[in-house]
Amino acid sequence: MAVRKSITAMTVAEKTAFTNAMRQLKTTSVNGRNYNWYIDQHVLYFSRTSDNISHAHQSPSFFPWHREYMRLLELDLQTVSGNANLFLPYWDWTGSASPFTADFLGAITNGSVSSGNFSPSWGWSLYRSSIQTSFLQRRVGQSASRPTAATVTNIQSYQVYDQSPWNSTVSNSYRNRGEIELHNRVHNYVGGHMATREAPNDPVFWLHHCNIDRLWWLWQSSRGIDTYQPRTGFTAGVVDNTEAMRPFGNGRTPSAVRDITLLGYSYA
Amino acid sequence: MAKTNRRDVLRYGAAGAVTAATAVVAGQELASAEPPPGAGDPKNPLGGLKNVLDPRDFDEVFKGKKIRGLHNQRGRNELTINNRRLALTEISTLFVPADGSPPYVGVGWISALNHYDPVEIDSSRNREGLRKLARKVVDILGDYELADGAADEHGH
Repeated sequence: MAVRKSITAMTVAEKTAFTNAMRQLKTTSVNGRNYNWYIDQHVLYFSRTSDNISHAHQSPSFFPWHREYMRLLELDLQTVSGNANLFLPYWDWTGSASPFTADFLGAITNGSVSSGNFSPSWGWSLYRSSIQTSFLQRRVGQSASRPTAATVTNIQSYQVYDQSPWNSTVSNSYRNRGEIELHNRVHNYVGGHMATREAPNDPVFWLHHCNIDRLWWLWQSSRGIDTYQPRTGFTAGVVDNTEAMRPFGNGRTPSAVRDITLLGYSYA
Repeated sequence: MAKTNRRDVLRYGAAGAVTAATAVVAGQELASAEPPPGAGDPKNPLGGLKNVLDPRDFDEVFKGKKIRGLHNQRGRNELTINNRRLALTEISTLFVPADGSPPYVGVGWISALNHYDPVEIDSSRNREGLRKLARKVVDILGDYELADGAADEHGH
C-alpha cells in the first residue's frame, strides 16, 4: 500500500530511493515494461488512435487514463527496486517547495541538465526527443507562471465532471478546466521537455501528474467517487464509464479506477 | 517582378508591399519560369512554390535560427526551423486569458514542441500567430535543432 507523500514531506532517503528506481527502470524491464514504454504510450495516446478515440488528453478520460498510467509506473518502480513501499511523490506547485534540487530531480532549471541527477553522466538518457540533444531540457518559469492556490480553488469548485462535446472546448467542465488551467499550465511552466509531446522524459512529469490525480481525488471525495461522465456506453469518440482505456486492456475502465483505495494507494 | 526570387516575394508579401493579387501573379510567374527551389530536397521539405502567396508568410532569422512559415499551404499552415519541418496540428480549444478576461473558444495550433500551449492563427487579431508559434518553439529549442520526430503528423 503506497502512501503518496508531498515532496515537502520526503526524507533524503526517500528521494534517493525514488530517483534510483527511476534510473533502474530506464535500463531494466519489469512486468513487461521499462521506462521508455511510458514515453511511447504518452506519444501514441496523445493522438486519436485507430478507434477514433482520444484516450489520454482533451477528453473525459484524461483523469482516469493518467491514474492508471501512474498506477502501473508505481508498480514497476516497486518491482524494479524490490521496495513495496516505494511511492510516487506529488508536487503541489502552488507552494514554494521545488523538486528541482541537487538531491532530487536535479538543480538545473534554465537549459540543459548537464550534471547531477537526471543528467547523462548520472545515467539518464532521453527517448524520442523532438529536440536534438542528449540533455534533458528545462526552462522553469520562462514562458508561463505557476497556477495559484486561488486558481486551484476555482477549478475545484466546478460541479460538472465533463459534458458534451467532451473535448477541449467545454467551458463548464471540471475535467477541461483542470486539464487546461492546471495541467497544461504546469507543463508550460517547467518548459523544455515538459512542454513537448514526449514530456515523461522529465521525471517531474510524474510528480506533476500525481498532484493532478490528488486534486481529482479531493474533488471526488467532495462530489462523489462515482461521478465520471459520460456513462452511457454509446458516446462517439470518447471513453465511456465502462469502456476500456487503451493500452491498459480489458477491464481497465474509468469505473475500475474511480476509487484509489481499491487501487492500493492513498495520499498523505 | 521577373527577377524577383521567392524570398523577395515573401519579404514584400510579409511587409504588405504588394497586393495579394500581385503576389499570386508573381507566384505563378515564378512557378512557370523556373523549377521550384528546393523541390524534392529533403533538407528543404517545404520547398516548392505555393500556388497562392499569403501576406502573412515569413522567411526570416530569429535568435540565430531561420524560421519559415507558410499559411494555408495545401489547406494547412506549415513551418520549418533551420529547414527542419515541424508538424502542426489544429485544435479547437478553450482559451483562458491570463489577464482575467472571459474565456473563449478559438482555433489553436500545437506541435510536438508547444504541445500544451496552443497558439491562435487567423487573418485578423492573430495574424502574427504562426510567427509567434515559431518564436516560441525556437525558445524551447534553445541551442538545439528539431529532431526528425518533430515532423511526424498526429491528429487530435
